[in-house]
Amino acid sequence: MKLPAHITLAGLKRPGTGPERTPVYAVVGNPNCGKTTLFNALTGLRQKVGNYPGVTVEKKMGITYSQHGRPIQIIDLPGAYSLAARSPDEAVLRDVLLGRRADTPQPDRIICVVDACNLERNLYLVHQVLDLGRPVVIALNMVDLAAAAGICVDPQRLEAELGVPVVPTEAVHGKGLVPLRLAMSRIELPLAKHRWDVPADIAPAVGALQVSLTENDGRPPLIARAEALLLLTDFDAVRVAGSTPHSPQTAAVLAHWRKRFEENGTDWSGLLIRSRYEAINRLCAGVIRRPAEQGLSFTDRVDAVLCHSIWGWLFFAGLMAAVFFSIFSLAEYPMNWIDSGVASLADRVKGAMAAGDLRDLITDGVIGGVGGIVIFLPQILILFFFIGLLESTGYMARAAFIMDRPMSKVGLHGKSFIPLLGSYACAIPGIMATRTIENAKDRLVTILVAPLMSCSARLPVYLLMIATLLPGEAMPAATKAGIMLAMYALGTAGAFGFAWLFKRTLFQSAPPLMIMELPPFQPPRLKEILRQMAERGWLFLKNAGTIILGISIVLWFLTTYPKHPDPAATPTQQIAHSFAGQAGHLLEPVIKPLGFDWRIGIGLITSFAAREVFVSSMGVIFGVEGADEDTTPLRDALRAATWPDGAALFTPLVCITLMVFYVFAMQCMSTLAIVKRETNSWRWPLFQTAYMTGTAWLLCLLVYQAGRALGF
Amino acid sequence: MSAIHPRSPLCQLPAGAMGRICAIEGDEGFCQRLREMGFGEAALVTKISGRTTSLCEVNGTRIALNHGAAMSILVEPLPAGAR
Repeated sequence: MKLPAHITLAGLKRPGTGPERTPVYAVVGNPNCGKTTLFNALTGLRQKVGNYPGVTVEKKMGITYSQHGRPIQIIDLPGAYSLAARSPDEAVLRDVLLGRRADTPQPDRIICVVDACNLERNLYLVHQVLDLGRPVVIALNMVDLAAAAGICVDPQRLEAELGVPVVPTEAVHGKGLVPLRLAMSRIELPLAKHRWDVPADIAPAVGALQVSLTENDGRPPLIARAEALLLLTDFDAVRVAGSTPHSPQTAAVLAHWRKRFEENGTDWSGLLIRSRYEAINRLCAGVIRRPAEQGLSFTDRVDAVLCHSIWGWLFFAGLMAAVFFSIFSLAEYPMNWIDSGVASLADRVKGAMAAGDLRDLITDGVIGGVGGIVIFLPQILILFFFIGLLESTGYMARAAFIMDRPMSKVGLHGKSFIPLLGSYACAIPGIMATRTIENAKDRLVTILVAPLMSCSARLPVYLLMIATLLPGEAMPAATKAGIMLAMYALGTAGAFGFAWLFKRTLFQSAPPLMIMELPPFQPPRLKEILRQMAERGWLFLKNAGTIILGISIVLWFLTTYPKHPDPAATPTQQIAHSFAGQAGHLLEPVIKPLGFDWRIGIGLITSFAAREVFVSSMGVIFGVEGADEDTTPLRDALRAATWPDGAALFTPLVCITLMVFYVFAMQCMSTLAIVKRETNSWRWPLFQTAYMTGTAWLLCLLVYQAGRALGF
Repeated sequence: MSAIHPRSPLCQLPAGAMGRICAIEGDEGFCQRLREMGFGEAALVTKISGRTTSLCEVNGTRIALNHGAAMSILVEPLPAGAR
C-alpha cells in the first residue's frame, strides 16, 4: 500500500500506522559494528538475499516478529561511516533512507547499531540519520567488549541526551534481543531530541534546497532538510542505477549554490563535519567513562607481530600455504565421492532408459555437465570457509594491509588481494568478491585479471599434459610439482603484469589512498561462518550451474549431430563427423602454428563449458573409455597419436604449449557471464576474451616456434 | 609553526609517538572521509607502526593507511605523556 508523501509532525499519529500495516525497519551502522550479526539474530532463517536492480550491491531483507507476534519487515542496509557516499554500497544506503529507490520501501523506522567501544565515531552516522526525522532505536552493541576494555557507557544517560530508546546488546551472544524487540514493537516511538544548528553561512542554501525538494520532489520536510545538507556538502556524490533523479528545479538550485560556494572558497563539508563532532563530543561527555591509563590490548600485541614487516609476512605466507594445501588436499575425498556418485547416477539412468539420443542427452549432457561443476563444490566451500574464518577473526583486514605494498607496485591496493586469492579455486567467487573495492577502475582491473590466476579447473588439464609429457611410469614427484608450480607462477605473473599494464594505460587513476579500519581480534563465530558458506556456495551453484547446464546441452548437441551415416561408427568417428568436429577442422589452420591439430581444436572448443571438459573430450576423440578416472590409457593414446604425415602429435613441446595456452586463454563461459553481470555490460567480457585469448595465442606461437627452432 | 614542533607526515612519526593532526592534504573525497571517521584537524593520533604503510590509533580506533594516505596527513608531534 503506497501512501502519498506522508507528513511527520511531532506527536501526531502517522496515518496508515494502524494494526494492519507492517512497519518497515532498516538496520544501519558502521562496518564491523555487528550490524549483520544482529540482523541475523533477529531474522534467523527468514531472510531473502538478492541484488538491488542495476547495482551489484547485496540486498538483504528479513522478517522478525514483534512481541505481539506481528511480522516486522527489516532491511539490512550496507555498512557505512556516513551518508556521504563514497562507494556503491554507501550510495544504496543513502538512497534507500532518503526514499530515492522505487524498488525498495522507504523505511518507517531505523535501528542504528553502534559499537560501544567507538561510540563517538559511530554516533556520527546516527547524528545524520536523526536528521531524517524518523523514529530511531539505538542498539548499543558489543557492550561486553567495551567492558573488557574498561570503557563504561551509560545507556540511560545516552537515552536521556538523544531522546531515543537505547538498548544494550551483545549480538554475538544473542543478548539484548528481547528488549530490542520490545522497543521495536512500541506503537509510538519518541522522536529524537535532536537540536542541532546548521552553521549560519550554509543555512540560506539549505533553506532554498529544502523548499525545492519539498515542492518539486515530494519529500517530507525533515528528509528534505537532511537531503539538502548532503547535497550541499558532498559534491561528487556517487550515483547508482535505480535511484530516482532530482527534478530539474532542484538541480538548478543546487548548481547555483555550488557555484557560489566554489567562488567563496570555504570548506563547507569540513565545517559541517566539525560542527557535528562538537555536538557529539558534548553529548558524550557525560555518557562515556574511559580508564585513565590504557595498556596495550591483546589486539595491539598480536598486531605488533602480524603487521610487522618481516614476521607479518612470514605468518601470512605460512597461512596462505596452509589454506592452499587444504583446498587441494582436503577436497579430494568429497571430490572422489561426488565423482563416483555422478557416475553411478549416470549408470542408473543408462540402465533405466531406452538407448537413444534422449538418454545420451541426459547422461552425457546434463549429468555430465552439471556433475562437472558440482565436483568443484568441495573446494569452493573450503575456500569460503577459510575466507569466512579470516574475516570473522579480523585477520583479513591485516592481510589486506600486508598485501598493500606489493599490490600498489602494480597500481592496485590491498583489497584486490582477496578476490585474486579466491580465484585460485575458482574465478567466479573471486570476481564476486570484488564488490568491496570502492574505486571503480581498480575493481574493473581486478575483475579483468582474476581469471589469469590458475583456477582449479585447469588442474586436470595440467595433470594430463604432465603425464603425457614425461616418459616412463615413475616420474619424479619433484618434476611434476615443479612444472605445476611453473604454470601457477606464470598465471600469477600474467595477472600482475596485466594489472600493471592496464593501470598504466587504459585505467589510469591516481594511486589509491587506502584507509582501512582494523577491527579488534575476535574468536571466530562458527555458526555465522557456516551460514555464509552455505549461502555463498548455493549462489555459486545457482549461477554457475544454470549456465553450465545450458552450455553442456549445447555442446552435447554439437558433438552428436550431424550423425555419422554408418550406425556402427566408433565414438571417435562420430565426433569427427559432428558440428564440433567440423569446427575443429575449421580451427586447424589457426592453431596449426601452435602445434595443435583439429582434434585438439575440438578439445579447445568444448573447454568453453568448463576447462576440465578437455580431458573427457580427449577421451572421446581418442577412443578411450572412462578417461576421467584413470589417465594412463589416455596418456598412452595421446602419445601414440600422430599427424597425417606420421609425426608425433603430443610431443613434449606441444604438451607445454598446450599448458601455456590454458594458463592464458579465456575459456570458461560461466566466468564471462559473471563478469557481464558484475560490470553491467558486454564490453568487458568481450575485451577480456580478446586480450586473454590473444595473449595465449601469441605466447604459444612464440613458445612452439622457438622450441621448434631450437630443435625440440 | 614553532621550530620545536615541526610538522611531519604521519608515516614519518616514530612508533609509539603521539601527534596532533595539523592538516590533511590531497583528494577532496579522501579528506572528507578522514574527517568523518574522526580523523579531523586537531585530533590526537598515536602511531603504532610502519614507515610507509602505517598503522595508527585515533579515538580508540585502529586504522591502517597506505603510503600515499599517510603522506597526506601532517601531524605535529607531541612530547610523550602530553595530552
